[in-house]
Amino acid sequence: MAAIEQHVEHEHGHASPQARLENLKFATWLYLASEVIIFTVLIATYVVFSLNNRDVVHEVHEKAGIMLVAFNTFLLLASSWAMVMGLRQLKLGNRQGLISWISLTALLGVIFVSLQYVEYRTLSDAGVVLFYSGGALSEFGMRFYAPTAFHGAHVIVGVLWALFIIWNARRGNYSATNYAGVEIFGLYWHFVDVVWIFLFTFIYLI
Amino acid sequence: MAAVTAPTLPGVAGEEPTRLHVSDYLRWSVDHKIIGVQYMATALFFFIFGGALAMLIRWELLTPAIDLMADGQAYNSLFSIHGTVMIFLWIIPMIAGLGNYLVPLMLGAKDMAFPWLNAFAFWLIPPAGMLMILGYFVGQTEAGWTSYPPLSTLFSGDGQTLWALSLHLLGISSILGSINFIVTIRNMRPAGMGYFQMPLFVWAVLATSIIVVMATPFLAGALTLLILDRVAGTAFFNPAQGGDVLLWQNVFWFYSHPAVYIMVLPAFGVISELLAVHSRKPVFGYRAIALSSMAIALVGFTVWAHHMFTSLTPELRIPFMITSMIIAVPTGIKVFSWLGTIWGGKIHFTSAMLFALSFLSMFVIGGISGVMLGSVPWDIHVHDTYFVVSHLHFVLFGGSVLAIYGGIYHWFPKITGRMLDERLGKIHFWITYPAFFLTFFPMHLAGMLGMPRRVAQYAPEFQTLNVIISIAAFVLGISTFILLYNIVWSLYHGEKASANPWRALTLEWATSSPPPSTNFIGDPVPFPNPYGYGTEAAYNYVESQNKKYGTVNPADYLPAEKSTAVTSE
Repeated sequence: MAAIEQHVEHEHGHASPQARLENLKFATWLYLASEVIIFTVLIATYVVFSLNNRDVVHEVHEKAGIMLVAFNTFLLLASSWAMVMGLRQLKLGNRQGLISWISLTALLGVIFVSLQYVEYRTLSDAGVVLFYSGGALSEFGMRFYAPTAFHGAHVIVGVLWALFIIWNARRGNYSATNYAGVEIFGLYWHFVDVVWIFLFTFIYLI
Repeated sequence: MAAVTAPTLPGVAGEEPTRLHVSDYLRWSVDHKIIGVQYMATALFFFIFGGALAMLIRWELLTPAIDLMADGQAYNSLFSIHGTVMIFLWIIPMIAGLGNYLVPLMLGAKDMAFPWLNAFAFWLIPPAGMLMILGYFVGQTEAGWTSYPPLSTLFSGDGQTLWALSLHLLGISSILGSINFIVTIRNMRPAGMGYFQMPLFVWAVLATSIIVVMATPFLAGALTLLILDRVAGTAFFNPAQGGDVLLWQNVFWFYSHPAVYIMVLPAFGVISELLAVHSRKPVFGYRAIALSSMAIALVGFTVWAHHMFTSLTPELRIPFMITSMIIAVPTGIKVFSWLGTIWGGKIHFTSAMLFALSFLSMFVIGGISGVMLGSVPWDIHVHDTYFVVSHLHFVLFGGSVLAIYGGIYHWFPKITGRMLDERLGKIHFWITYPAFFLTFFPMHLAGMLGMPRRVAQYAPEFQTLNVIISIAAFVLGISTFILLYNIVWSLYHGEKASANPWRALTLEWATSSPPPSTNFIGDPVPFPNPYGYGTEAAYNYVESQNKKYGTVNPADYLPAEKSTAVTSE
């Protein structure tokens, strides 16, 4: 059995790195497509409620304000930019630059999740809770927390992934010609960012 | 599976031969052939399990009263787990197993694009199966495989939560597996094989995989909300608390109608292979069959609400009725193409071919009752009756399972290096085919007369029909063991299979049976037309293969023997 495994791995070593990168990128796109659909279900659940209960949405908007979450959106956008800069530095051959920029990406992600926690506390103090406790606010609550917390979980996974990238970079596993790992993380991170733009628009702006 | 061997031909590349042992199938492996067998063996186990539950269902229904089961709840969990296991732990993994084994071979590739991911996707299935069964210890799910709220939120036992977690794992497994298939099919075809030179089974797997990646996440979303309702106190599906009970039905069927095609499209692919090979004729309408799979994948997303004719806003019924009629068209194209394929062919009535022909007849009945159900007035009359049960078993058993049986007889020689016993195969067929028909056809009548599905107690006037159905079902259940016995017996005593016993032109036969660990020796050259039977070139191509790879005799490659010759038949 071991012989077979070695053999398969060995054979894969023969596939050109270019072909392997193509495979990985295509697979990542397919994976992200399936993620889009899960988010669609959760967002649609919110949107249907929001269209039929405008007064509840307005009430929550007045209670929560938009400054904090607008700032948070800015942070996430900035983190995507840091991601791009990191990949650019790597392609220029500057590994230290990659580590710095990806660290910034991870840091911004951590701040985003922390501020989201602060926002959740404010909302739950105002009566917007996940579980049904009677009243329109908790009907709003479950439909609000499900997509945003699901997104938050994706940010946390992204931060862990960024730490993994940094660890790999410090071990010298990436170079100006070998950047597939970073590029694929980039696809994921941009996706998380784009999803947030939709969430922000549907939940906070409309 | 002790006798399954994956030889490295002696004298080639100077490699030590490898012989697989049964324990090689019980541990982590990234070889797509081992993973394929792991999928199929696991699926067969759950087939027996789900089949046993079906026997209990038929036993209970022998009499109009509740006698076998303790109460109605016990009966509810019986059909819920039967349905879920058969769909998610038998048909889907079985097809994934066939796909795993065959797609890289048919493409002349050495493995899938992502071998590690492939193994990971498989190993999600055993824990998922265990979660499903564990429900019996905490109060099994009682809401049916469709798990409509409020049955699944307010009434069912904690097993319902495990059910949802189990389906989550199975969904992740299918999505990862399908991403792997799509990447493999798109990027790993050999030189000289464009999309329209691919075997039709590969086309079917491609269309199926696209559906899985696009539809299964809907189920994941719905299951997430269901779990939240059950454990976090939300009320997404509870109208009394501001939820929407139709939300589940819409999202579930938006997944589950395409899922019907996830189960049956690969069966279509198997049938296309079998009919062409065993009637020695080129496939009639290759492009029509290939593209109609894609059409089904696409239109499959627009018909979901025909499952909800009785709960839907009336003005939405007609549009969904129209789309449901439209989706019968690509299926009809396939059926006519298959008939055209065997028409005038030199039909070999092998066991594989018999099952393929039985698929053709039984699936058409299932398709026609599907069109009947797609029309609103008829659907409202027979809604939630045994007519629906009959229809779904005609398409899933008469469709998917009969095709899988045919596929097993067809590809067993490639997988194990031994032929299945043809005599047992024919006995299996001649018991299965009438027993299947007598089990499921009378259900149409019971349904039209008004017998509701999912009940343990029924009106006494239905008893005669139910006794007939039950007796036929027991025979059908027993017939399965003929296949299992045949598999086990043939593994040890079956006739040795040559490289290409059916003289097929697709690439999985252009290597020894079973294939060596790297699948091919050198790069296989695909025959220009995978179904170009009946020409001299095709004859020579097949002859050269059997000469080159021949019958693999363990004596030739076992280390002790030190033989250097490759036997040819």
